[in-house]
Amino acid sequence: MRALLLLRKDLRVLRRSPLLLVVLLAYPLLVAGLVGLVAGYASSKPRVALVDEDNLPATLVLGGHRFHVDRTIARVSHDVKLVRLSPDEAERQLRTGKVVAVVTVPRGFVADLRAMVRSPQLVLQTTHGGLSPRVTQQVQALVYSLNRELQRAYIESNLRYVRLILHGGDGSFLGRKFRILGLDGTERELRNLPPGPRLDAIRRFVDDARLALAETDDALRATANPIELVQAPDRGRTWALSAQVQAYALALTISFLTLVLAAGALAAERDENVIGRLARGLVGLGELVAAKILLAALVALGVGAAIALAFGIVIQIGGVTGGEPWSRLPLLGVGLVLAGASLGALGTLLGALTRESRTASLVSLLVVLPVVFLGLVPPEVVPVAGYLSDALPFAHAVRFFGAALYDASPWAAVAREAAWLVGLAAVFAAAARAGARRLLV
Amino acid sequence: MTHAQPVLAARGVARRFGAQTALEPTDLEVGEGETLALVGPNGAGKSTLLALLAGALEPTAGTIERRDGARVGWVPQRPAHYGRLSARENLELFARLEEEPRPADAAERLLASFDLPRDDRASGSLSVGNRQRLNLAIALLGDPHVLLLDEPTASLDPGQRRRLWERVESLRDAGGAVAFATQNVEELERHADRVVALRDGRVVFDGTIAEYEREPLADLFA
Repeated sequence: MRALLLLRKDLRVLRRSPLLLVVLLAYPLLVAGLVGLVAGYASSKPRVALVDEDNLPATLVLGGHRFHVDRTIARVSHDVKLVRLSPDEAERQLRTGKVVAVVTVPRGFVADLRAMVRSPQLVLQTTHGGLSPRVTQQVQALVYSLNRELQRAYIESNLRYVRLILHGGDGSFLGRKFRILGLDGTERELRNLPPGPRLDAIRRFVDDARLALAETDDALRATANPIELVQAPDRGRTWALSAQVQAYALALTISFLTLVLAAGALAAERDENVIGRLARGLVGLGELVAAKILLAALVALGVGAAIALAFGIVIQIGGVTGGEPWSRLPLLGVGLVLAGASLGALGTLLGALTRESRTASLVSLLVVLPVVFLGLVPPEVVPVAGYLSDALPFAHAVRFFGAALYDASPWAAVAREAAWLVGLAAVFAAAARAGARRLLV
Repeated sequence: MTHAQPVLAARGVARRFGAQTALEPTDLEVGEGETLALVGPNGAGKSTLLALLAGALEPTAGTIERRDGARVGWVPQRPAHYGRLSARENLELFARLEEEPRPADAAERLLASFDLPRDDRASGSLSVGNRQRLNLAIALLGDPHVLLLDEPTASLDPGQRRRLWERVESLRDAGGAVAFATQNVEELERHADRVVALRDGRVVFDGTIAEYEREPLADLFA
C-alpha cells in the first residue's frame, strides 16, 4: 500500500517532467533507429577489391557470345561492391580493413577461359574474423553468377550447332566457315531416292535423330542446372516491419527507459533528502525498491503498448502480409510488465550503488548500451556474449516479445523467458534492497 | 542522565560511516515534558545522533528504545520533501504515509498554520524559508510525542521562529518531548531545560542549562 503511494507520487513527478519524459522516449527510439541503420549497413555490400593481373579486355567473345567485361561484373556482383585496385593497393586496403576481400584475376585467366581445357581460377583473399565467412559466401555467389552467365552463353552456342544439325545452314567453328545439310535437308534429299529397305533404315535414323535432338535444348539446360532456384514474388514483410525488428525495438526502448528511470528514481529519494524520513518506519527499503520496480513495469507497459499499437496501425494501414497479431497484445503486455520489472530491478540496483541521481542516470546509460549490444550479438557467433546476455534481462525480453507476437505456439518460449525475467528481477531486487542501505548514509 | 520518564532512549548507540566514526557508543534519554538541546561544534555528531533517535539511520552498535506508541517527528537540517510536488501534495503524501485519518484536512491545517503557499507551485521553487517551514510542517504530521529538530530555525524569519517555539512549547506542555540541535546561544538559553554537549562523537556534557553555563566548554561550543 505504501509502495503504491510512492508509485503514485513518482508517476505524478514524471508527468511534471515533460522534457525528461520526451527525452526518455525519444532517446531509445533514436538509438533503435541508429542500431537499425548499423544493422542495415552491416548487411549492405561489403567493399571487395578486384585485382586484374590478366588485363581483362573490354569485351570478350566466348561461345560465340560477346561479353562486356565491366557490365558483366556489375551485373553479377549484387552482393559486393567491386572496386578495381592495383595489387599493392589492394593488399594495403585489405590490411587496413578498407576492403574486406581481394579477388585476383591471375595471368592466363582469359586464355584458360577461351580454351576450356581447364577451369580458369579466381583467387580470393579475405580478412580474418567475423565477416570472413560472409564475404566468402558473397564472392562464391559472385562466381556462381558469373558461371551462370558463361553457362548460358555456352549452352546457347551448343544449341546453335544442334539447330544447324537439325535444320541445316551456315555455321563456323574455330574460325572456319561451313555449310551443313542438316537432318531437314537430308530428309528432303531422301525423298528423291528410289524406295527400298536401305532407304527406309536411313529415314528411320533421320527421324530418331530429329526426335532426340529436339529434346537437346531442355536436356542441356537441365543437366547444366540439376536444381534451379526460382525466386517467388515477394510476399514477406519489409525488414523495418519484421517480427524481429518489432521485438528488438520494444526491448531496446523499454531497456533504456526503465533502467534509467528506476535508477534515477531511487537515487532521487536520497537527492531530495527524503530517504531518511521514509526509512524511519514510514516506508521500508524493500517497499521503496518495490515502488521503483513497479514504476518501471508500469512505464514499460504503457510505452511498450503504445509502440506495439503504432506498429500495428502502420502494418494494418500498409496491408502488410500477416497483419498485426492483435489477439497477442495481452500476452505481450505480460511480457512488457515482466521485462520492465526485471530491467527496473537492475536499475534500482544501479541507483542504490550510485546513490546520486545524476550519477545513477549516467551509469545506467553506460550500462544499458552493453546490455543491449550483448543481446544483439548472436550467441552462436560469440558464445560468451550469449552466456553474459542470459544473465541480463534484454535478450529474454526480446525472445519473450518475439514469441508472444509471432510464434504459432508461444507458450513454451514465453514460459521459459518469463521464468528468466522473474528470476533476474528477484535477484536484482534483492541486491538492490541490500544496497539501498547505502542511500541512508 | 534524565529528569523525567524517558520517551526515547539511545543505549550504547554508535555510528560509523566506513572508516570514520561519527558517533562513539552513546547513552541518552529524552524524557516526557523535557526540552533537550544538543550542542557542539560542526561534525561533533549532533545530526547523526538525532537521525539515529529518529530512526532515519541504523546504528552500527547499540539500540534505540521508544516508548510503546510514542510517535517521533523529525526535522532534518536540510529540508526533506519532494521538490516537484507542491507543499499541499507533500503534506498529503506524508499524511497518508503517517496514516493520518484525514490526510487532506491535516495538510490544509498545516498549510494554514505554517502560512505555506496553497497553490500548485512545486515546493522546490519555494523560498528557503518556505521550504524549511514545509520541512517543519511535515514533521508535525501524525501527531508526534517527540520532536527532533536539527537546527530548525536557521532559515526562518523572526516571526516564524517565534511560532515554531510556541509549537514546541505547546507540545512539551502536553507531555511531549523535544530534542533540538543548535548553534544559537539565545535559543539554548530561552528554550532548553537540559543541554547535552558533543565533541568528536562523544558526549562531553549532560546537565541543566545552568550547569552548562558554568562549564568552561560553553564558550567553545556555543
